[in-house]
Amino acid sequence: MSLVLPLAALLLQASVSPVPLAVERRLADSLGLRVGDTVALAAAPDAAGRAAVITAIYAPAADPSSIMRRDLQVRLHLPDLGALLGAPDRVDRVAVALVPGAGPAATAERLNRLAFGFEAHPSARLAAESSRTFQVVDRFHRAIAVITIVASAVFLLCIMLLKVEERRLDAAVMRFVGVRRRTIFGALLLEAALVAVVGSLVGIGIALGAGALTNLYYQRLFATPLIFSRVTPGIVGFSVALSLALGLAAGAAAAFRLVRTPPMALWRRG
Amino acid sequence: MTGWRLALRGLRRRPLRSALSLAGIAVASAMLLDMVMLSGGLDRSFEQLLLVRGYQVRITPKGTLPFDAEATIGRGSALMAALRAEPMVASAAPVLGAALHARAGVPRGGGDPLVTVVGYGVEPAAQAIYEVERGTDLAPGDSLGLLVSAPAAGRLGLAVGDTVAVAGRLDAQLAAAAAERRFVVRGLARFLYDSRGQPSVATLLPVMQSLAGPAYADRLSLVLVRAAPGADPERLTGRLRALVPSVETNSVADLVVQFRQRMLYFRQLSYILGTVSLVVTVLLIATLLTITVSERLGEIATLRAIGVGRRTVVLQVLAEGAVLTVLGGALGVALGLATARYLDAILTGFPGLPAAFSFFVPRAGALLQAGAVLLVTGMLAGLYPAWLAARAPIAATLRAEAT
Repeated sequence: MSLVLPLAALLLQASVSPVPLAVERRLADSLGLRVGDTVALAAAPDAAGRAAVITAIYAPAADPSSIMRRDLQVRLHLPDLGALLGAPDRVDRVAVALVPGAGPAATAERLNRLAFGFEAHPSARLAAESSRTFQVVDRFHRAIAVITIVASAVFLLCIMLLKVEERRLDAAVMRFVGVRRRTIFGALLLEAALVAVVGSLVGIGIALGAGALTNLYYQRLFATPLIFSRVTPGIVGFSVALSLALGLAAGAAAAFRLVRTPPMALWRRG
Repeated sequence: MTGWRLALRGLRRRPLRSALSLAGIAVASAMLLDMVMLSGGLDRSFEQLLLVRGYQVRITPKGTLPFDAEATIGRGSALMAALRAEPMVASAAPVLGAALHARAGVPRGGGDPLVTVVGYGVEPAAQAIYEVERGTDLAPGDSLGLLVSAPAAGRLGLAVGDTVAVAGRLDAQLAAAAAERRFVVRGLARFLYDSRGQPSVATLLPVMQSLAGPAYADRLSLVLVRAAPGADPERLTGRLRALVPSVETNSVADLVVQFRQRMLYFRQLSYILGTVSLVVTVLLIATLLTITVSERLGEIATLRAIGVGRRTVVLQVLAEGAVLTVLGGALGVALGLATARYLDAILTGFPGLPAAFSFFVPRAGALLQAGAVLLVTGMLAGLYPAWLAARAPIAATLRAEAT
């Protein structure tokens, strides 16, 4: 059970027997608190404070859903918190461990049929609900990725076209000396594939560097061990495959145009 | 003028190449536009939302933002009296928010007839959280009246004039509502800060305090304050902070700053992607123009040989870059506006975000700024190829062309 309290509430004067209190590291650091110190806790700045002795300083589990809020937390025993809030014998939520064989959905349904004043949810449903924020972010990232891929595809097609067109004199000479169209087409295609592979390898290097910098920056900014950017083998495989496919398609289209053009026309265009 | 005409002719000479470049620039500039809208739109939209009813200051429980936590402000009537006695305050609107349970009648096939709604207690004469869309507003002293949002009306099957039972607290041990009252729906309202699909109801503040239970007696979740004509909201905020230090007092500007902190990720993302878009545009234009100039070195040398100055040649290359940028940018505006709508539809799906909020806000200033940056970038991208064109030796180039 945790309670988010305004910082100011911790500074009130204590007057009664202290209750044990665990303080999260960021809060302890910001107020210069150490284990054994006594502070005062109150539910509101103008409410009477209660003395609390710090028995532990802890690092809360990294929680992506609250990272932007930067709430500071303390932990108390449930009865102490209830007394502090003036709401004894009340709880916000109860976690229930089921006996082996009991299904979470069926149990939640049964509790909801019997119960009044609260609602039971299987943990999986709660997890799905609480991950909605990340689903939205994920959809946004995917949409941005699609736009980026379209831009990259056009860029790649353009570059390949230009690169292949640059080779028109070479292609004309090769045709004059009897090299077959298929051979020229294959050579140009191979060149396009090499450019795509080398480009994507350089891109992976840049992504790894940028990802490391991103993690470093945000981990420092939010004081969290959470990982913000991860280049997985799946992402690498997808990127290389996509750029290879795009590169080959663009190279093939440009090379096809080139080998179809008569060598004299290529020669004249210089 | 000749430079522009030559530039256009140059682009027409290689239609496929020019079309592909235009497409690339259009996508990159669409992304740039979207990111410019995203970076400024967040703050703008949030500010507009907060000021929609002209209340410039928010008072909340210490250490919280409006409806950020379940904490409430004690001695609400004393606070309201103090605020209304303040000469710089034109109006103060108190709000208490809490979960309520409305009884929808027993659904077909059984099941739970209670629908949990967000309840707001307000003073109708001074409120800034809803607009009545159908029916009438709550009248002072109308302790039976209730306003419902469209999602609440839909889920409860309510229309104006209907009666509905609303419970404030449910007692699990007694298996009964600890406080239940019957209300008459006076009107349908649009709650300005509700998230999409949020079922909400509003009633008078004292009624809400009574429904929520003894712990909420004389308590408030939020007070919205409007400055008197001529009073500076920032000065008023400072004055109220000194007057009531036990609560959190924020001007809209303060809230925008705090919101900006929470949305830091999106702002930074917009800067990064905007920069990437500009780099892509520069690379695309520079590559295209460099290759075009290399192909046309003979033509450029001939022009120079018949007396065309270096300046004209440089201007022609720069003009070609500018033409590509302008045409690609124009396409990009249309594409950018369409993608912004799509991306906005995704991001406004964030749970708990006010439905009226928008991430991508098109502003004339931002559009002009993006256009100017893009144009300068496009012309800068032409600098290297222009330099190549200008320094090409005339005689050697013509000789090479002839052989």
